[in-house]
Formats: sequence, C-alpha cells, structure tokens
Amino acid sequence: MKFRLILAVWACKLAIFASRLLGKNGSSMPGQIALKICPKLLTLLSSQVKRDVIVVCGTNGKTTTNNLLAAMIASQGHQVVCNTLGANMIWGVCCAFCEKTNLFGKLSADFACLEVDEASTVKVFAHIKPDLMVVSNLFQDQLDRYGAVDLTLDYLRRALSLSPDTKLLLNADDPLVAQLGEKTERICYYMGVDEKVSEETGENNEGQFCGLCGSRLSYEYYHYSQLGKFSCSGCGFHRHELDFRVHTVTLSDGLNFSLDHQGQTAVFDVNYRGFYNVYNIALSYSAAVLALGSVPNYQAVLSAYKPQVGRMESFSIGEKTVILNLAKNPAGFNQALATVLGDKRKKNVLIGVNDNPSDGQDISWFWSVDFERLQDASVQNLVVTGFRADELMLRMKYAGFSEEKQVKTKDLKEAVAALVIGEAEVCYALVNYTVVFTMQEILKAMEGGAEHGA
Amino acid sequence: MERKTIRIGHLFPELLNMYGDKGNILALKNRLVWRGIDAEVVTFGIEDEIDFSTLDIVLLGGGADREQEMVCKQLMSMKQALSNYIEDGGVMLALCGSYPMLGKTFQLQNETVSGLGILEIETEKTEKRHIGDCIVQTDITGSELLLVGFENHGGKTRIGELKPLGTVRHGFGNNGEDGSCGVIYKNLIGTYLHGPLLPKNPALTDYLLSCALKRKYGEDIALMPLADRAEEEAHDYIVKRFIKE
Repeated sequence: MKFRLILAVWACKLAIFASRLLGKNGSSMPGQIALKICPKLLTLLSSQVKRDVIVVCGTNGKTTTNNLLAAMIASQGHQVVCNTLGANMIWGVCCAFCEKTNLFGKLSADFACLEVDEASTVKVFAHIKPDLMVVSNLFQDQLDRYGAVDLTLDYLRRALSLSPDTKLLLNADDPLVAQLGEKTERICYYMGVDEKVSEETGENNEGQFCGLCGSRLSYEYYHYSQLGKFSCSGCGFHRHELDFRVHTVTLSDGLNFSLDHQGQTAVFDVNYRGFYNVYNIALSYSAAVLALGSVPNYQAVLSAYKPQVGRMESFSIGEKTVILNLAKNPAGFNQALATVLGDKRKKNVLIGVNDNPSDGQDISWFWSVDFERLQDASVQNLVVTGFRADELMLRMKYAGFSEEKQVKTKDLKEAVAALVIGEAEVCYALVNYTVVFTMQEILKAMEGGAEHGA
Repeated sequence: MERKTIRIGHLFPELLNMYGDKGNILALKNRLVWRGIDAEVVTFGIEDEIDFSTLDIVLLGGGADREQEMVCKQLMSMKQALSNYIEDGGVMLALCGSYPMLGKTFQLQNETVSGLGILEIETEKTEKRHIGDCIVQTDITGSELLLVGFENHGGKTRIGELKPLGTVRHGFGNNGEDGSCGVIYKNLIGTYLHGPLLPKNPALTDYLLSCALKRKYGEDIALMPLADRAEEEAHDYIVKRFIKE
C-alpha cells in the first residue's frame, strides 16, 4: 500500500507540474491519475493530518469561506492543506493533499481545510472523516447539473451518515441548512445574523416551506432568499439559539459587524462588498475559533486576504472603477444586485451569461433574478454579453430597459469597451462562470495598458 | 370601445418556481398591456380557494418533486373545477412537472404515482433524465413555426390519441421515441419545455392570448403586431445553433 501511495503522490505532483507548464490551473486530471493508482490515497493522507480536517459546503461562497478559514489557521503558524483554487470535487481534494505530501508519502499538515462540492460529499466522506463540517447556504443552482435543492440536501445527509462523529457548524438563518442539525445526536454549532440588517438586501421572497413537516414558515425578518429569522407553526422548528451571534451590522462603508461567542465580542471592520460576505467571514472565523480556541489576528488576515477571480474584484480603467463579480444562480445574482443598488453613484452595468456545460446549459434561472430592481440604480449604460446575450436582452427588455437602451454583443472585449464609456463613475460587470475568467484577463490587460500609457 | 381585461391565474408560484416561470407571466401580461388590453395577474398560494370561472388563463409552472407532490394533492381537491374549466375551453399552460401531473400516472421521487387524470396520458420513468435544449415544430397557429425551450425531466410521456403540441426537431420531447412533444387539448397546452418559454416564443404567447380573448368576448380579436426584435433574436439564436438549413 505504501508503494502505491508513493507512486500516486509522485504521479500527481508530476501531472500538476506538467499542467502548470502548459499554463493550466486545472487540478482535476492529476487527482484522477493519483486515485487510479492508489484508491485509498485520501484515507491514507487525511489520516496523517495532525489536528482537524474541516470541510466547507454551501451553494454560494464556499471558496471565500474556506480560503479565509485556511488563512486564519495558517496565520497561527500551522501547516494547512487547502484546495485554494476551488477545485472542489474529489480529484481537487486529492491534489491539495498530494501537494503537501513529500516524495516518501509523508504529509506535513496540522489542519486540512477543504471546500467540497455538495454533490461530491458522499464520495469524499467515504475516505475522509472530517472533524468539522461547515454548511453555509443551499440555493437553487444549475438545475441541469445538480437537480433541485432537495437532492443536494440528500447528498449531505448521506455523506454525514458515513461520518457520525463529524461536528456541524451551520448557518442558523438558512432553514434548509439548519434542518441538518435537527433529529440528530451530533454536536452542532449555529451562526446567524441576529437583527434585521437593511431593506436593500431583501429580494422578492417567495414562500418557504418547512423541510421537516411541510408547513409554511413564517419570518420575523428576512436577510435574503430564504435566510432570516424563521419559525414553523407546524412542528415548532425555528431559528436556533446562536453560538456565534452576529449583530450591529453596517454595510455603508465596507462591512462592519460584531460577533459574540461565549461572552467575548469580536469586532470586524473590512473593506469587502456584499452583505453575503458577512456570512462568509463570520463562518470562517467561527470555524477557526472552534479549531483553535481563538484567532487573535483575524482582522489582519481579513485585510491581507486577496479574493479569488471575480469576487467583487476591482480594476481601475481610466477614470473609472470597474467591479467584476461572479454570480451563477438567482441567489448570487440578487445579492450582487443588492450591492449594485447600495452604491449610489452613476453607473454602467454589464450582465454576461454563457451556457457552457460548466456554467449550466439551462439559463432559465436568469428569469428568476430581480433585474427589475436595476431601474432604480441610476444605470447609464446597460451591456448584455456572453453566448446568451440575445435572451439576456429580452430579459432586460421585460425588466424595463428597451432594446435601444441596451448594448448587445457576444464579443467580451467589445462588451468591456462599451462598459467603460460615458459619464458613469463606476462600472459593474456581473457575469457567470466561464465569462469571468476571460473578462478578468481583458480587464487586467486594459488596466495594465492604461498604466503603461500614463 | 369597451376596454378588455384578461385575468391570468398564476398557480402556486411559491412552490412551482424552479425554472423562472416568472418570465411566462411577464410575457402574457406585457403582450396584453402593450396592446392596450388590461391584464390582471392573480397569484394563488397553496391554501387559497380558486374560482376558475373568474380566470381566463391559468399558468401551472414546474417545481421539484416535494413541491409537485404538495401541488398535486391540493389540485386533487379541486379536480372537478379544473376539469370543467378545461372542458369549457379555458386557456391553460402546464409546464415541466405539472404537465405529466395532469395525466393518469406520473413520476415522483422515481416512483409511478396517480396523477389528476384530467388528460388521457401516461408517464413512466426514463432510464436517464432527458436534459437539454429542445426545438419543436408546430402548426397550432395555422402556420408552421418553431418553438424553442429547455427540457429536464425523468419521465417518458405517452399521449395516446391526443394531439401533440408539435414534433421534435431537436431534443427529446414527450418520450424521446415517437417524436412528439407536449399535448394540446382544447385550449390546454402541456409541455416539458419549461421556464421562460413564452418570452422567446411570442407566437405561442399570442396564440394563448387570442384563445383567451375569443373565449371571453366571443369573437376573433386581431392582435396588433408588436416590435419583437429582442424576442426574435433570442428565439433564432437557439434555432440556428441546432438546426442547419
């Protein structure tokens, strides 16, 4: 077995090296090779982690939450295995372990922080028994790939049944997530935002029904989508008491909030955009506190953190600020729109949607996004792009932007060029998965070009 | 001239909201309003009483299995009223999971269960889900035209003697075998094409509106042509992607 493990690690490292030479970040193929050679690879390597293995799941914000968590743990001088780039299927997890393993098959890591695609959890938990699993939210996402949310919940339940000792850190505000903590002996911790934050984060909420008994849930207040302070009149299921209680949230200038845990209050003041990042930050901090007891320098870690591609990523092009954001489902898009609405400057907005297999080929979801709200957002120019620009233009027509008010092009370069003209001070590009990478390159090149020209 | 009004009943969007069905309501409503006809959209929750006799168009969208089951149970209690509405020529569009639910049997959680039995159609399980873009040729408006949409279903539906909505030019349709897609019975259209079907198929939308106006006002009412550039471009993009002339 040892021989197979070593061979697999070598092969994986070599394949990672080779694919990087080819300029690819893809971390699935090397993991596939490694698992072929040594099917027990993950069991053998994860059992060498000296302290905790932590898994992060949730439809939106996995990468940010997991990377922040890994950074907080690493800041305390620990060695951490982490699938930083967001390759979150079983092969990506394999690669992350192999990279931290030496050529004799010995892993040097105190912790592992792994974001895992919900549909891959059953496969991963067959090998890895995490100490803690963080579940942040469950939203409808790429139905042609994942199916309905119920199916995702089913994956998580099956995965958890393979690992009875795994503790849970749950988003208490999400009734779909919080039901994982009901009817179980498992140790569960709850994090939630314990106040109504702002009108602007709310979208047109449709009813939510109790996952346990099927009755309609009632809400004292909503945060967004189905997140909020809920209770069920049918079975008594309600927003749990909070072990990690977020309060005093302000969104006007970056994010400010306080988090209470066991009588201690941590105060957060960061230059991030988007209310949903309160959840990402609070969950990563809470998980780090559960793992380490305390994280004294969390504020410095948060300030130093560089977001991944297109997470409200900012570029300076000429006089204008361009903000690039990845959004791939109604919840993500509605949250991005809330951020756009919170910015009172005159603005240009670009919406880009591709329908490649990795984006999801069914684009029905963008009819569920509340684009109507953009009418109140001082939008100067509206650009629609991506393979599905035609249907986006139609969607925006129904949202109150006539064809004449829109620029439509499937060429991403032309789209960016149309985004950065006019009187607007700030430009938002809200795009889905395969658009975001190309658009980031275009924006980087334009930013660089402008600097050279100056 | 008296102002005309069409009442559109949107059934249970809180449960049947999976695939952007909001787009269908937007299309029905706006294509009336743009022509100076009043449109009233009535949204029904699962506990609400529905008086079908006050409605001119009924939209039943697609939901996940758990939600579809709740809807089926509720509709069972008003089956006769719904059936009367359909027999009387009431306009109805049933999409995605709500389409086979109208039949004698349909699929829920991989099991065959009894449907509403309003249509003589039957649905059994597919081996593999039928997922992808779908293009259908239909003559319901009196001339040949193509409808575009997306399907994602685990059921194979046989419509027996009933008339299909059209024939499949790309994709699976009712069952992936006999080339039929959807069903049309009186003024009821059922199809697996889900979500925002009506915005990008304005001819189908106008057909439904014409049927509703005719039923309500007893005469053929010519619908004023609209500027449909965005509609046509969205439609043609999918047609050109899959059908080479």
